Amino acid sequence: MGMLAWVMMGLALWHFTIFLPDRFWGGIVGAFLGALLGAVICGLIVNGFTIPGESDTHLLTALEAIPGALIGIAAVYFEGVRRGYEALEL
Amino acid sequence: MNDRRRNLFVLLLVAGLLVGSLVVILTKPTRLGLDLKGGVSLIYQGKPTKQAQVTSDSINRAIDVMRKRVDQLGVAEPQIQRSGSDQIDVSLPDVKNADEAAAQVGTTAQLWFYDWEGSVLGPNCKPDPRNTEVTGGASAGVAAIPPALSQFDAVTRGAKCPRTDTGKESSGDKYYLVDKKAKKVLVGPDESLADLKRDAAAKKLTVDPEQIVKVPQGVTIVRAEQDDPKGKPPDSWYVLKDQTILGGKDIKNPEQGFDNGPGENGQPNVQFDFTGHGASTWETFTKKLSQRGREQALGVGGNQSNQHFAIVLDNEIISVPQIDWQQYPNGIDASGGSRISGGFTISSAQRLADLLKTGALPIKLQLISSSQVSATLGRQALHQGLIAGIAGFIIVALFLLIFYRVLGLIAVGALVVYAIFFYALIKLVPITLTLPGIAGLILTIGVAADANIVIFERVKEELRGGRSIQAAIATGYKRGLSAIVDANVVTFMVAFILFLLATAGVKGFAFTLGVGTLVSFFTAVLLTQAVLGLMGRSKLIHSPAALGARPQRKERRRFDFMGASKWFFSMSGVILLIGALAIGGKGLNFGIDFESGTRIRAELARNADENGVRDAISADGFGDAEIQRLSGSGAGKNSFQISTSTLSEGQRNQIQSDLQQKFGVKSFDFDFIGPTFGQTVAKSAIIAIIASLLVISIYISLRFEWKYAVPVLIAVMHDILITSGVYSLLGREVTTSTVAALLTILGYSLYDTIIVFDRVRENVPRMPRAAFSQIVNRSMSEVLTRSLATSFCTALPIAALLFFGGDTLKDFAFALLVGVISGTYSSIFIASPVLTHWKERETVYVRRRRRIAEANGGVVPAYATAVGGAPVDVPPVEKARRGRRLTEPEDPQRGVSQDEFQEMVRDLHADAPPTATAERDPAAERDPSADLDPEDLVLKDDKPKRAPKPKRPRNRRHGRSR
Repeated sequence: MGMLAWVMMGLALWHFTIFLPDRFWGGIVGAFLGALLGAVICGLIVNGFTIPGESDTHLLTALEAIPGALIGIAAVYFEGVRRGYEALEL
Repeated sequence: MNDRRRNLFVLLLVAGLLVGSLVVILTKPTRLGLDLKGGVSLIYQGKPTKQAQVTSDSINRAIDVMRKRVDQLGVAEPQIQRSGSDQIDVSLPDVKNADEAAAQVGTTAQLWFYDWEGSVLGPNCKPDPRNTEVTGGASAGVAAIPPALSQFDAVTRGAKCPRTDTGKESSGDKYYLVDKKAKKVLVGPDESLADLKRDAAAKKLTVDPEQIVKVPQGVTIVRAEQDDPKGKPPDSWYVLKDQTILGGKDIKNPEQGFDNGPGENGQPNVQFDFTGHGASTWETFTKKLSQRGREQALGVGGNQSNQHFAIVLDNEIISVPQIDWQQYPNGIDASGGSRISGGFTISSAQRLADLLKTGALPIKLQLISSSQVSATLGRQALHQGLIAGIAGFIIVALFLLIFYRVLGLIAVGALVVYAIFFYALIKLVPITLTLPGIAGLILTIGVAADANIVIFERVKEELRGGRSIQAAIATGYKRGLSAIVDANVVTFMVAFILFLLATAGVKGFAFTLGVGTLVSFFTAVLLTQAVLGLMGRSKLIHSPAALGARPQRKERRRFDFMGASKWFFSMSGVILLIGALAIGGKGLNFGIDFESGTRIRAELARNADENGVRDAISADGFGDAEIQRLSGSGAGKNSFQISTSTLSEGQRNQIQSDLQQKFGVKSFDFDFIGPTFGQTVAKSAIIAIIASLLVISIYISLRFEWKYAVPVLIAVMHDILITSGVYSLLGREVTTSTVAALLTILGYSLYDTIIVFDRVRENVPRMPRAAFSQIVNRSMSEVLTRSLATSFCTALPIAALLFFGGDTLKDFAFALLVGVISGTYSSIFIASPVLTHWKERETVYVRRRRRIAEANGGVVPAYATAVGGAPVDVPPVEKARRGRRLTEPEDPQRGVSQDEFQEMVRDLHADAPPTATAERDPAAERDPSADLDPEDLVLKDDKPKRAPKPKRPRNRRHGRSR
């Protein structure tokens, strides 16, 4: 259940990357992977590399994914900038 | 074969199949599943034994044994089939007692013979044949304590004994969870620690490693003999050295008989013969017992020293007969067979004889789910399913008639033919019709109608584009076909993978969905095309209005889909954010399908409410049960659902008796779900989802381009997670039906996205100078109506399920409805923008954007337009020429077009002998529009019209003057 909450949170935050100029490494799909991986890895770190089960999942469990998702998105973005990707705005 | 002949052939084929179908429908019976006609459903999971591992072979052998046992029950049309790698589904129609059926069908029936005095272990873990305090003496095997022990004492004694490995052990190590303070065994025996933990979790027990007791291989704990066959099994146990002498495979011809010898009381028994090996072992064994009896007689005398052997069935002592050493000093001759006497009734002796006759199961089978449905409830469910089906059909038909007029009428005709074909197929195969199967059938009505909508919308588009009715129909079918083929292939793939991997209930749904998709393709595309082809010149379809096509407004408002995608993304983001918080805060409300327990559905004769029902059953300790009133058309006036932890047969009977006394019971059904069932369903669903996505990604990569597969996957994920979020927010119960619905959403989401992407694929070569966002914007504006119409049409039968279906179908329909709405939304507003963002990064589109921006003052317009507002597109380059010669114009009313004339000329040249000049010029195959400016590009249909030629009668078939 914890994994479901993290993935959902990562996916939710990824939707808002549309407001940023697309300089992501791998484009919008790169941002998607960054958000999801970041959310899951951060959740795992906070929970000592265990996935909270149904009874151990709380509101905080979902919130724990936020920093990870943001870090993941930022990492992919700055890697895109470093590689010299031009901003794409539709 | 020309078009007319082909159409006639299709119609004749359909007519023939219709006649055949009607014959099948009138002559063959419909095979109904247990949920529609009542009966008992049992699901077993195979567990390894010392003798055999759970393999395909051992499961198949177990099925053979179970089939023989079911045959002895005299059940008509039973179904025993393998499910997944280690499960067996048993469906027994019209059987009314699930417990009896389970006892008969799923009992392992491992029969063993032990040397009693040589096997009963004392406190020092050694046999002591002379010690009657250990063996019980003349009262060997009785339930009295002592010499029997409590289960806790027996287990702790057995745990101290050494492990042996002589090859004669009946089982391996056994694990028990005990309460050392209360001196009670809580769980066990289990063959492994993992099984023990799972069983403990099912009873909501925490496993403390200190409380786990392991009884080693070589020691077995058996229950004492039951005096009263109708009473409760005794809580008295013996610890035996597990060295078997004979097994069930050493006996033959077991029959139920009676103790009719001199001085016997005529009690029922089980008589049998020995096999060759069994006979020699029996004689040696009984001789050994006689000799030991004689040796021990010194100082005891008489029968006191007679030795015993124990007959143990599935760790329960059936009988402990003695060998009279004076009567049989050299053992017992095996030629006359032997018999098992004990506290049998006729039926229990008959049952044991039957079990021995069919043989032991090669593996242990654990009952993980059992369900008993009364015939009344089954009939109600069938009634609801039929009503939902008819309602779904009628509203889809009405929708088609209102929006597509004559075309709709033909589509409705095709739907009727589809329904007849499908029903005949169900009877012919035969497909066992279950509730999920009916849901699949109703959904395929929507899918069949969708195929027509895709084509009809295309026909309307062509009509609006100025084509004649005949040309519009021909082009509509031609261009709509690729989208339908792709969408149907994907739906069929999902159904196929579901069928292979999912559990029983979902299988029924997957099968009907898969077969329905194939049949609907035939009726919705081939049949309607043939009918329209033949009535092309009919007065019925002489005007575009008859086909539901209104003239296009000159100033068509265009929506910037890609520009607005920011807001749609935000909306999805907010919904998912709320969903994630709900999942974290509230979690999902898993039903007992996942949590394990017993669910009782009872219809009461007199008025009652939840509190009244709770009061009635509280006296027996069931006050903490979850009780809810069942509503809906299927449930009776006073129907209640009672969910509790796992109940024994006695506890269930107690609840039934309580309700009977207070309110009167009209019907009483129950489901028992074991702890592994939910895990199996979830695991198979996850595997099915991953497998579907992999296969479909490969298909999309091959048919489209690999970059089209990724947005499709993101859209699917979006839809499944949004549906999960809605379930969490509303607190709706997640059942196996919900899982089936989630898997269907996956299929539908793909279907809808493919319909949208198909147009993008079509427009890419048409717009060689446009930015990808412009291509997608145009594609979206073209398919929006089509996409909304198909979604609406799919939602109609789902709504019928929601309003008219019973509880199971309603559960299913709710998840589907959320998924269909989300699927439509994500196809247009999530998948397409993701594709656009990704494709715009490709060098070719970066250049195009730059060029367009330079030409438009730094801005890329939402839609590609050229001078005069004409769309910037070119006719697509034909990749391959048609297989047959062009012999008539596409639109006879407009005459032969320039392109058609050129093609006829090429056909004539193709017949000419090859010359050097006839060799293909690579330059001629190049896209002629590639180097043109947007202003130079015009549509084929926008060419200046020539002066009309004088009308002359023409030979329509050959396009030549008469």
